[in-house]
Amino acid sequence: MKISTKESVFLVLKYVVLIFFTILCLYPLLWLFLSSFKSNSELYSNPWGLPESFSLVNYMQAITEGHILQYFGNSVIIAVSAVVVAVLLSSMVSYAIMRMQWKLSKAALQVFLLGMMIPVYAMIVPLFSMFNKMHLLNTHLAVIIPHIGISFPMAIFIMSGFMGALPKEMEEAAVMDGCNIYQIFFKIIMPISQSSIVTVAVVTFINIWNDLLLPQIFLTDSSKMTLPVGLTEFQGQYTTNYVVEIAAVIITIIPSIIVYIWLHKHIMEGMVAGAVKG
Amino acid sequence: MNKVLGNKKSIAVFVLPAFIIYAIFVLVPIGYNIYVSFLQTDLMSPSKFVGVKNYINLFKDKTFTGALRNNILMVIGSLIAHLPLALLFGNILFQKIKGSHFFQTVFFLPSVICGVAVGLTWTFVYNSEFGLINKFLEIIGLESLQHVWLADKKLALFCIIIVVMWQFVGYHMVIQIAAMKNIPLSYYEAAEIDGASKWVQFKSITFPLIKPILKIDAVLIITGSLKYYDLVAVMTGGGPNHATELMSTYMFYQGFRTLKYGYSAAIGVILLVLCMCSVLLSNFVFRTEQVEF
Repeated sequence: MKISTKESVFLVLKYVVLIFFTILCLYPLLWLFLSSFKSNSELYSNPWGLPESFSLVNYMQAITEGHILQYFGNSVIIAVSAVVVAVLLSSMVSYAIMRMQWKLSKAALQVFLLGMMIPVYAMIVPLFSMFNKMHLLNTHLAVIIPHIGISFPMAIFIMSGFMGALPKEMEEAAVMDGCNIYQIFFKIIMPISQSSIVTVAVVTFINIWNDLLLPQIFLTDSSKMTLPVGLTEFQGQYTTNYVVEIAAVIITIIPSIIVYIWLHKHIMEGMVAGAVKG
Repeated sequence: MNKVLGNKKSIAVFVLPAFIIYAIFVLVPIGYNIYVSFLQTDLMSPSKFVGVKNYINLFKDKTFTGALRNNILMVIGSLIAHLPLALLFGNILFQKIKGSHFFQTVFFLPSVICGVAVGLTWTFVYNSEFGLINKFLEIIGLESLQHVWLADKKLALFCIIIVVMWQFVGYHMVIQIAAMKNIPLSYYEAAEIDGASKWVQFKSITFPLIKPILKIDAVLIITGSLKYYDLVAVMTGGGPNHATELMSTYMFYQGFRTLKYGYSAAIGVILLVLCMCSVLLSNFVFRTEQVEF
């Protein structure tokens, strides 16, 4: 196919727009990354260039004085345990709703999906009061449990869509072979649903990993805080020592970027699927 | 078969654990929240039933109406920033263009990064002394335009909207591309044969067919703008002097800083109602315009 001059001008124009926005997306992150190796005075005198040396002083300080690894560990504990429970329970519910035979299955699906439009702000005060009475405030459970509940609507939406489309023959064959329902679910359904399970797990993980509000409200002890809350603590502590704070931000961002590069297909698919339902 | 899949006991085992958690920690709190919004309470000492007084006070409260106004500005700003730009990028990348996958992946990246980290990153970019923006203005000789961006009452909210846009344009773009992929390729092939230009193809095939998704996307942007919290909490904390206060940050402040839980719960109810209204509106609009291919 021949390309006319007009079309090639358009093509160049398109690339100019795309590359400009690519730079806009990546440059702030790159700048921050380079700044994390600078000293404070270098940051002021030489904001654009490369750092004089790639020293890890700021990172060491963020770890030793800023307790960033402790926050990191707390974030991992909270996110991993919430994701494991949420994925297991929501895949079980999705299976029961789409494949098992009971009268209220459609109604149950509606009740779960209703949660998609509920903002977390409409339940924060009661949860605080409940956890206060249950003496759960300032424990990781106070953050994990609500996150599990909040993640159900999106998880069940994605999983039920997938499980509804599975062929019935497999289950029939399994029943013939004398499998019980738990064997069917754990040995057949779970393995073939792997891709939607990964999607749900990753999107839930990102939501919990990034959340600021719940840990900020339900945790008071600095040794129990998650990374996002820990970062806000930096703001007060190091108001003039910016480079350490920058290093802490980089430590927070790096895992997300690595996971994103690794699983971006699942992430994009999952975040968009949950959204389009509305 | 039916015996296995219809067994009441196993259905209960599959459904109840999730349902109990969901009921106790999502459904019940929402109802309880509505009740708390009619109380004057610090959750410790006995609370007093005050009826709709919290709501009346809210609308007399200049800070709350300011926050409501900021939320509306956020909604408008995000709509203007996201929809056309996402549509432009989406349309370019939907066509067969080299590197389409790479650009999509890069543009989507910021929406995966933690809001606190994004907020801090941009706090540094906006920093008056070493921030990129002021330094850039210095280089091109426009020092007169330098500002202490986030401390400026008139500019702070605008600066935050820019960050929201930076973070989420790629996200909305991917939603729109997903919609475009559902359009049968034969439509474009037919248009190509008829000699329709790319612009005509966009105007008469792509745009009309993704309109339903655009409407859903608009509602997503609206509910998203009502729920923003992290960026403002980190970048300005609602300041300077409540100029960037949002309903979410003000709710946090009233509930967990000044311990007026009833008042705070009332803000939560208002947010719930606003979100539900926009979603119901979308469902209504969506149903009436469903397209069959």
